[in-house]
Amino acid sequence: MFYSIRHITQFRYSAPVRESVMEIRMQPRSEGPQTLRSFQISTNPRAQLYAYTDHLGNAVYHFNLLREHEELRIDAQAVVEIGLISPLPERLDDLEWGRYNNFNLHDDHFDMMGASKFARMSPELAAFMRIAELEKPQGDPLTALVKLMRGIYDSFEYESGITEVHSPIEHALGERRGVCQDFAHIMIAIARSWGIPTRYVSGYLYHKGARDRSRADATHAWVEAWLPSLGWVGFDPTNNIMPRERHVRAAVGRDYADVPPTRGTFKGVADSELSIAVSLEPTAAPVRHEDFLKVARPMSSATPTYSMPERLYHHQQQQQQQ
Amino acid sequence: MQQEAFANTEDFGGPDIVAVSGNNARPGIDPPYARYELGKPYDEMFAPDGRPRLPYAALDARLSTLSLEELNRRQQACEQSFLHQGITFTVYSDNQATERIIPTDLLPRIVTAKEWDRIERGLTQRILALNLFLRDIYSDGRVLKDGVVPRTMIYGSKHYRREMRGLPVPHGAYVNICGSDLVRNEAGDFVVLEDNLRVPSGVSYMLANRDVVRRAFPAVFRTMGVRPIEHYPLELLATLRSLAPFHEDVSIAILTPGVFNSAYFEHAFLARQMGVELVEGRDLLVNDNVVYTRTTSGLKRIDVIYRRIDDDFVDPLIFREDSSLGVPGLFNAYRAGNVMIANALGTGVADDKAVYAYVPRLIRYYLAEEPILENVETFLCREEKSLKHVLANLDKLVVKAVGESGGYGMLVGPHASQAEREDFARKLKADPDNYIAQPTIQLSTAPTFVGGGVEARHVDLRPFILHGSETKIVPGALTRVALKRGSLVVNSSQGGGSKDTWVLNQ
Repeated sequence: MFYSIRHITQFRYSAPVRESVMEIRMQPRSEGPQTLRSFQISTNPRAQLYAYTDHLGNAVYHFNLLREHEELRIDAQAVVEIGLISPLPERLDDLEWGRYNNFNLHDDHFDMMGASKFARMSPELAAFMRIAELEKPQGDPLTALVKLMRGIYDSFEYESGITEVHSPIEHALGERRGVCQDFAHIMIAIARSWGIPTRYVSGYLYHKGARDRSRADATHAWVEAWLPSLGWVGFDPTNNIMPRERHVRAAVGRDYADVPPTRGTFKGVADSELSIAVSLEPTAAPVRHEDFLKVARPMSSATPTYSMPERLYHHQQQQQQQ
Repeated sequence: MQQEAFANTEDFGGPDIVAVSGNNARPGIDPPYARYELGKPYDEMFAPDGRPRLPYAALDARLSTLSLEELNRRQQACEQSFLHQGITFTVYSDNQATERIIPTDLLPRIVTAKEWDRIERGLTQRILALNLFLRDIYSDGRVLKDGVVPRTMIYGSKHYRREMRGLPVPHGAYVNICGSDLVRNEAGDFVVLEDNLRVPSGVSYMLANRDVVRRAFPAVFRTMGVRPIEHYPLELLATLRSLAPFHEDVSIAILTPGVFNSAYFEHAFLARQMGVELVEGRDLLVNDNVVYTRTTSGLKRIDVIYRRIDDDFVDPLIFREDSSLGVPGLFNAYRAGNVMIANALGTGVADDKAVYAYVPRLIRYYLAEEPILENVETFLCREEKSLKHVLANLDKLVVKAVGESGGYGMLVGPHASQAEREDFARKLKADPDNYIAQPTIQLSTAPTFVGGGVEARHVDLRPFILHGSETKIVPGALTRVALKRGSLVVNSSQGGGSKDTWVLNQ
């Protein structure tokens, strides 16, 4: 299965700004069943892009714009292949809890077990866990997480505009409404309170039919919990589904604060307006150039061709030997 | 290229003489020591029997010949000199900042060559182990895997910078400038109270104190063979240069929070002494992953930044978004190796109260050596045996929350009421990981000129360690003194003063 993804982000400023600096976390990851086939990113005004891989393996692009500008547009395009996904078992044995031990747990897991900026315990969350009967995990870890996902799905209405990108989970907990980011944070905080390493995934969802509550023209977020005998397993509490071939992963982190698609600063006194366009469509397998490149002129025979006059060529060979 | 640090080099005392020691003045009886109280703590100048210790003999002989009026005159000359040179620090109050001179004391504190040798070796060992520890927790985490240091302590620390993971730093030197606080215990041994691995300050006062006290007792100073410290700015410059991957035309800047910072004098002083730029965040910009400073003739590239602002404020793109002190994009330029930052980011994880308790173990773990300088005895409440001990001895101990500073979340056992102790015991049992306990420390006392006489005041010792391609410790230190009688608080923000520290050749 191939997807073509286009993600456009546009900032408009009420007055000219300068010295914009920005980081971008949009490049789909290439691991497991997901393979990145191509990725292009461009900005307008044009800027020199730099990239690095952060400690969680996310590709981060960054750039700066010195000159004054009133608009900044980032256009990212990717082609991603989702391969065969092995089916998950119905349930695990109860011994799985005991496998969360120092022998199995590594650095990457420990960092996903503590409180982080958005995913942390609070009286409001504790109250929700009591009401929803989620204080203690029920059954093996996989069964408990599926129940947790279902519990969040049943307890909250999907509604955008209630919470903002920097809203703490208490906001959604109080309203019993929110968006994918809120549900992911709530699920992460609860799973971590059970001792399960859990991380935030930012990415894209291919919407099929009307069952999905999340919006088709936006980025998506869900969670991954670590199960000793299965590895990282995805859960999408917004749609009450286990991510399979419709979810495209872009970045992972402790919570949203680690992986915003764009993060930037600018200088100048101006209001900014942000517009985002996201599209995700199935596409045909991209044709690899190796497959259609035809040899137009075979290589000639072995006579060497010097690109410089022969005299000079020989002269250069007569270098002093030490 | 060494410049004269201060404009005035005239001796305050006029021609000075070294008196031959005869009938010495006795503490508590004779002037100028009539009000001097020798207590239980170790005294720097006097042995318990009231006789001056050998290194202080020449100073004592001189003091005994000077009238209190003359001492007072020289003390005032020192203070005048500080004021004229603008050697000030800023005290933050409710809504305004006031500049004051840091009280400087006329009487030097003396450290013998033998004592210094141990301090120097001990601190060198310590900074080596701390740098290895930082490299470890930002790469393989061997020390965590081996269970020497609990993981939760590192991952839970607000100073742990995940952004530093896997990032190489030049010479593996994370802490390039360190100021460790030592105290002398009742037995007279120096022990480490605290490591300051983020943005330690005070070195300018070390240099300024030397300049004035040397002139207050010129002849005593000359005869005693005091080791020089004036080359500190050059050593700092060499350390900063050693961080750059190339060694010609290295362009260095000191990044200051600005004129309202309490240590602004020091930032300006060091910049002037080293002949490098003094910049604020707004003076710098990052373009195409390279750091520049704005000058009147355009942009000038910066290769090494000695930053005197906290991690949190360094780069609003990566750390605190609301930081107006930092430079957006600085961290990515650092990551790319286009600029070096001293100290490296994330060093704070190694100087909190809990990690402090592990430093002796870290020295054994990384260097397979016994610590040369001991810690103040510290009980980690996360360890069951220690917790029991702490709960049984709450009336004798000081208990501190590891994540807090400045006296918050702290119980001073001997001064607390029974109810306070019981209340604190409950908190301790609920979250033992969060607490450490130490016995109340009796800092040593040293003669200090206060209120027109010489009295005993508690002091500590802060030497400054430089660590780049090699480790260097200038033979000197800032001796901080608690000016209030009986007080153990030496912080300059809380009425502390400072003294010149004479490290002797022999």
